[in-house]
Amino acid sequence: MTSPALTLAVPASSRRRRARMGQWQGLLYIAPAMALVIVFFVIPVLFTFWMSFHDWPLLGQPEWIGLGNYVRLLTDTRFLSSLRFTAYYTVITTIAIFVVAFPLAIFVEKQRRGVGFYRTVFFMPVVVGLATASLLWVWLANVDSGLIGPAIRMMGFAGKKVNLLATFDSAFWTIIVMVVWKVAGFTMIILLTGLQSIPVELNEAARIDGAGSWQRFRHLTLPLMRRTIALALILSVTGSVLAFDQFYIMTSGGPQNRMISVVYYIFNQSFVSFHLGYGSALSIALLGILIVLSVVQLRLLRVGDDK
Amino acid sequence: MTDGMRLRQVRKSFGPIEVIHGVDLVVGEGEFVVFVGPSGCGKSTLLRMIAGLEEVSDGDIEIGGKDVTDLDPSQRGIAMVFQSYALYPHMSVRENLGFGLSMANVPKAEIAVQVDAAAKILKIEPLLDRRPGQLSGGQRQRVAIGRAIVRKPQVFLFDEPLSNLDAELRVSMRIEIARLHRELGNTMVYVTHDQTEAMTLADKIVVLRDGVIEQVGTPREVYEHPANTFVAGFIGSPRMNLLDAAGQGAGKVLAAGAEIDVPTIAAAGSGKVTVGLRPEHLVLTASAPGTLKATVDFFEYLGGTRYLYCQLPDGQSLVAEQRDGDDLAAGETVHFTWKPKDLRLFNPQGLKLV
Repeated sequence: MTSPALTLAVPASSRRRRARMGQWQGLLYIAPAMALVIVFFVIPVLFTFWMSFHDWPLLGQPEWIGLGNYVRLLTDTRFLSSLRFTAYYTVITTIAIFVVAFPLAIFVEKQRRGVGFYRTVFFMPVVVGLATASLLWVWLANVDSGLIGPAIRMMGFAGKKVNLLATFDSAFWTIIVMVVWKVAGFTMIILLTGLQSIPVELNEAARIDGAGSWQRFRHLTLPLMRRTIALALILSVTGSVLAFDQFYIMTSGGPQNRMISVVYYIFNQSFVSFHLGYGSALSIALLGILIVLSVVQLRLLRVGDDK
Repeated sequence: MTDGMRLRQVRKSFGPIEVIHGVDLVVGEGEFVVFVGPSGCGKSTLLRMIAGLEEVSDGDIEIGGKDVTDLDPSQRGIAMVFQSYALYPHMSVRENLGFGLSMANVPKAEIAVQVDAAAKILKIEPLLDRRPGQLSGGQRQRVAIGRAIVRKPQVFLFDEPLSNLDAELRVSMRIEIARLHRELGNTMVYVTHDQTEAMTLADKIVVLRDGVIEQVGTPREVYEHPANTFVAGFIGSPRMNLLDAAGQGAGKVLAAGAEIDVPTIAAAGSGKVTVGLRPEHLVLTASAPGTLKATVDFFEYLGGTRYLYCQLPDGQSLVAEQRDGDDLAAGETVHFTWKPKDLRLFNPQGLKLV
């Protein structure tokens, strides 16, 4: 730090130069992060955006077709049905994750014996990769050598062999269970931080005010956790809308091709059929959908107008 | 006098550790009772037990003649004001005040009447539509008190309510609380570590130490006739001088080389005793038998009062408070006397000798 007297003695031009130097220094500090974001996010998105206006085959010259790809996707029944399936999956998974994660968060929030153990156990599946978890569950659900099907049969709930991945419903619910097992621990930790940020006295004051445990949850816990819930919700919805691995690995698009999610469809268009331009247009459309969904969620939870 | 509240052999243990050891206390209807004590003495725990926020391990609590030991906090006829105010941050002041009533399914119109009445008493009507985050500390405290008033409790509980306020605001809120007690006439239990709050607000002071009541009495009783050396040392600032002394038979003790008359005590015996003298009772005097000789260590001038920090010939320290007189330099020798009625005597166990 320079003393005021010293600063006064320095001519104005040199002071300005120093300020400019400081700005360059700041830029230098954020440069590595900026470089990564630009190279791996901004440029690809811009390039995808550019590609989406072309008929872009794997080999040969791309051809500018303007909004042609976008017009096409509006009437593409396979795209629309993948959108419908993804929406259905997103709603069910998000509800299932919250239904499991919220009680878990409340359970591990209280200081009780072995709470660290419980937190660790519930969080453990989170550190397994989604593809790995999918493979693991493919084995668990295997009709002959797996765990779940033969166990159901051994306990006498089913007479013949149980192939969980053979019908849409059982395959769908197997995937839901797998995803909840895999993700609930993460949502639990997020919700836990929200629960812990509520001062104990607030609950005590509400107890004196005669609020029962459900009323305290409804009138205190939920409103005060709005931001946390918004975060968990957006992460869960975004993750579900982008779901791909589990359908690709566990069901390969599933009985009667009914488990093609949007990302799976984009993958098929881009890297199976090599319609790279159309795939890009689908990706940009999905990005738009995600932005709209996130904004709507933030609005609904009124995050930002606490004061 | 009907009972505002009665504690009977109340105990609290956390695991194997007992922190409240069988407290008995009767609080009259409409009395203002202040729990004081050093931190960790159990005063807040005791208050929380009365509130029902902390389970009672043993004993009974009665409020208004009804045993509430096992009742829910909301059914005890109490309201509590927290040190941190504990206002609901996402609700307006109006909703904060009316929360308890709306939980009890009171009709909206009725809630509005009650909330307005409480807001009027505390002069917070202009704040009703604001959020707690938009209020100053003093305003939040008023809202917290307002929320307690709306509950129409038999007993108000205050847990160090002024600790988070600045000194000036603390004085005005203290007066406000005293006014409130006069107007509402409810029983109030107030926890603080601030002696001024205790002395000015209390009808009855309860001095606690390590989960045990050391003395219960009016501020005057506690100050002028402390039951033991702990209370003597805790109440009053600067604290009472407690000097080791030895009994010299009939009505005399030897302290710091001076033979002191204690005519109020028939026979102090020949054992050890403790002489208690409040700083403001010590008067500078000429050297004479029966006076305490001391050397000035440090002189503090505070305007209206001055403090003399002295050392006695045997090494014990002594604080004296003077109203007037010249400045004294360190190292000067002085002599103190006092009125015999102002001297207190305690036995080796620290208990008051009558």
